Amino acid sequence: MQAPKTYGEYSKEIDEALNDPQLRKTLDKYAITYRTNRAVVMRDIDEATLIHEIAEFKDEAAAHMEELYQQFKAEAEKRGVHVYRAATAAEANQLISDIARKEGVKRIVKSKSMTSEETQLNHKLIADGYVVDETDLGEWILQLRHETPSHMVMPAIHLSRYQVAEDFSKVTQVKQDPDIDRLVKVARVQLRRKFIAGDMGITGCNFAIAECGAITTVTNEGNARMVETMPRVHTVLVGLDKLVRTIDDVMIALQILPRNATAQRITSYVSWVCGPTKWKGSPDGQKSMHIVFLDNGRTKVAKDPIFKQVFRCVRCGACTNVCPVFRLIGGHKMGYIYMGAIGLILTYLYHGEDKAKILSQNCIGCESCHHVCSGGIDLPMLIREVRNRLVDDGDGNAMGSLMKIVMTNRKMFHNLLRFASKAQRPFTAGTQFQRHLPMIFMKKHDFKALPAIAEKAFRDQWGDIAPKVSNPKYRVALFAGCAEDFIYPEQLVAAVKILAACNVAVDFPMDQTCCGLPLGMMGQRKAVQTVARQNVRAFADGNYDYIITLCASCGSTLKKQYVNYLANDPDISYGVVTRFQDKIIDLSSFLRDVLDLKPEDFVNTHEKVTFHASCHQCRALKAADKSRELIQDVADYVPCFEEEVCCGFGGTYSVKFPIISKEIITKKVKNIAETKAERVVMDCPGCVLQIRGAVEKEKLGIKVTHLSELLADKIQPK
Amino acid sequence: MSNINPELVEKFTAMAQAVAATVAEVPSKEDAFKYIVDLCLSKDPCELLADEPGTEKGPLGPNRVPTRVQRVLAAPSLNDEDFALLENLCQEKGILCLRDNVRKYAAGIDIGINEAVAGVAASGTCLCPTTDEDVRLAGMISEISIVILKKSDIYPDLPSVAGIMRDAIGNGPEGSFTTLITGPSRTADIECVGAVGVHGPLMMHVLLLEA
Repeated sequence: MQAPKTYGEYSKEIDEALNDPQLRKTLDKYAITYRTNRAVVMRDIDEATLIHEIAEFKDEAAAHMEELYQQFKAEAEKRGVHVYRAATAAEANQLISDIARKEGVKRIVKSKSMTSEETQLNHKLIADGYVVDETDLGEWILQLRHETPSHMVMPAIHLSRYQVAEDFSKVTQVKQDPDIDRLVKVARVQLRRKFIAGDMGITGCNFAIAECGAITTVTNEGNARMVETMPRVHTVLVGLDKLVRTIDDVMIALQILPRNATAQRITSYVSWVCGPTKWKGSPDGQKSMHIVFLDNGRTKVAKDPIFKQVFRCVRCGACTNVCPVFRLIGGHKMGYIYMGAIGLILTYLYHGEDKAKILSQNCIGCESCHHVCSGGIDLPMLIREVRNRLVDDGDGNAMGSLMKIVMTNRKMFHNLLRFASKAQRPFTAGTQFQRHLPMIFMKKHDFKALPAIAEKAFRDQWGDIAPKVSNPKYRVALFAGCAEDFIYPEQLVAAVKILAACNVAVDFPMDQTCCGLPLGMMGQRKAVQTVARQNVRAFADGNYDYIITLCASCGSTLKKQYVNYLANDPDISYGVVTRFQDKIIDLSSFLRDVLDLKPEDFVNTHEKVTFHASCHQCRALKAADKSRELIQDVADYVPCFEEEVCCGFGGTYSVKFPIISKEIITKKVKNIAETKAERVVMDCPGCVLQIRGAVEKEKLGIKVTHLSELLADKIQPK
Repeated sequence: MSNINPELVEKFTAMAQAVAATVAEVPSKEDAFKYIVDLCLSKDPCELLADEPGTEKGPLGPNRVPTRVQRVLAAPSLNDEDFALLENLCQEKGILCLRDNVRKYAAGIDIGINEAVAGVAASGTCLCPTTDEDVRLAGMISEISIVILKKSDIYPDLPSVAGIMRDAIGNGPEGSFTTLITGPSRTADIECVGAVGVHGPLMMHVLLLEA
């Protein structure tokens, strides 16, 4: 197992995955069917409430980890279980090897356990002379191939039936057909005798229940209960984070875990093993049961005010299932042992900075994982926090440091952008795109036309265009964000037109600056705090009813993240920050909910318009439906396939990982083109940049604009 | 009879069927046993998934392993009276009816019978006390797993059976093993394509008792 050490090295690995057609096909199909099937099984429960309850009891368990461990130990020992605790992975492996030796074990059968992957238990046991057989179908395939899991729930998702047929032909010495049903039965036939011959079974554990000392395993194949039942010895390897207080807690979690993992209402089997039972392999036989609790950094994480949230994880893998990056490159390229969003974080926490340095950068920040997580973990925030800590520990890079210097000094930053507007002229030929950039800058970015800096920034136009409104209904301020201020001022001009037509007074505080999101994505926490303070102050004295932003990414940063960045800030009180945050609103919500605009407020010209629901708009601000309603008021709305899937921009992400960005936007543009719409609108200038650039490159002739530009064309003056 | 909730029965049935379980309503235990014996005789012969010295072998099954000539079913959880009733029916048809020693037949048996103490309507799940190894194995090594469940023992959802689970787990000091069973064993580990019958039963039948 290796983690990339440089971007160059990582880029090669990513290329490899992108050029694996089988992997791409399987993951793509899975992403779509998972989404559909998950929605179906979620319909019969109150998803939000259950997720909230899981977060609550898991938080409580993490806060009382020590107490629950003691309670579990006492209960389990009362029933004859041997309970151990390992501080490190190596210690856990040694303990289990020692148990096997003392119990006179030769053959070990295992059911799937990510924790045993974390400690790389098999290496140790095999080195110590034991015969170890994985019995989960996917894990067994991987063992035959000497590979590691690429998904927490479906470990062999990266392989095809043809590859499996080849492996099974080798192991059985009989030609096996690539028929999935038959291949499954090969495992049935081959592994039954291994269960029977096993001296010790090793399982993981989904929940370790303190009230009674029971462990549960959640499985479909039936191999875990074979492993728990057939051999005389049962050893469990379990992370301390799996401790929960009660049986009731598990019943709550079991309603979400399988739905989120594989879109099942529940798995075929859930075993509740509470101490050793009689073993009938010999007269008067008694099972011997050992439970090894693994720390490996967990007690430290439980005390970390930010990272402790990670223990809400129930290892459902939903964060992986919905990740647009995973969908392209798979789990082997998206984690060291644990993969997907949670994997990027756990790699840092359990396997160290060195392994996480490059991997943790591979999150596009689309919020999809946050939206589905069983424990409601703010995964994108924790990934940014990993980057923060890497920067704090001196592991930042030159790009981040430069951005920090430039972007925290508003005047310098804005003057640089004005300078760029002039300096780019030879390259733009008067268009909105940089057409003639020397190839050296273009290498991996040639999938989209890059935008030009606007001739005149919005802030430099404001004095001329600021509308006068007498007796306004509301007083609002605009938060521009860099992209609209300096690249697409026309989007803001359009919004001003709409607002003035609706009798809303608009202000534009000049001291506002970058929202800080790009800095946050680079782990530049201090720099984000600097710009955040600046922005909160810029709007503090205005006495505005609302602060409107047309950039969903800025909006989500201002509304969801500032309160964390500025918590306990010495210079700005909490009340000032929350007042600022409460006033932030996106344009669609303002027009729909506050102004209550109706179809009759617009002229509907029946233009065929489709929609791209920007990540931060649909998931962080949850406002995409408002935009859809507004589109229907002014045009013929045509829904787009995967409307809520990321466009692949992600700000600095597309700079760091252009090849992934390219793959995502290619699919997005294909879906847009298939709607046959004349125009696609969205609520984020970053997405406009990405989608317009790709549409221009492909010469598709579809108009790509901000929603504000569509609405401004159709608004009826009051 | 009065505490049978038809809505829960209907929901349970639909949910169990949704995961490829067969659900049948049986008026009495005797009907249940007749159903089981008929099923045992009509199913394909059980494949022997491991060596079992001294056992009479029939022709190769679909997975190219020998089949068992003797039909075998296991019902270790039944009380004396019920077991005697079932055993009688089996003897008439030449079926071997096991009450213990199930481990000896780990290569595979035709049918294993479990009795659930609760059903969960929301997911078609059966809560089965399986502390006794024979009882547990009956539901694991059989080609068809049968669970008998009283209609009046069906509850709406998982939280509503937490107390029953607590009782099944017990307060010690003896160990216990309890299993939630929902449909036959399954996997989607190859190309995310669903397939049933991995290491456990190929099929599951739930017999809903009119009680």
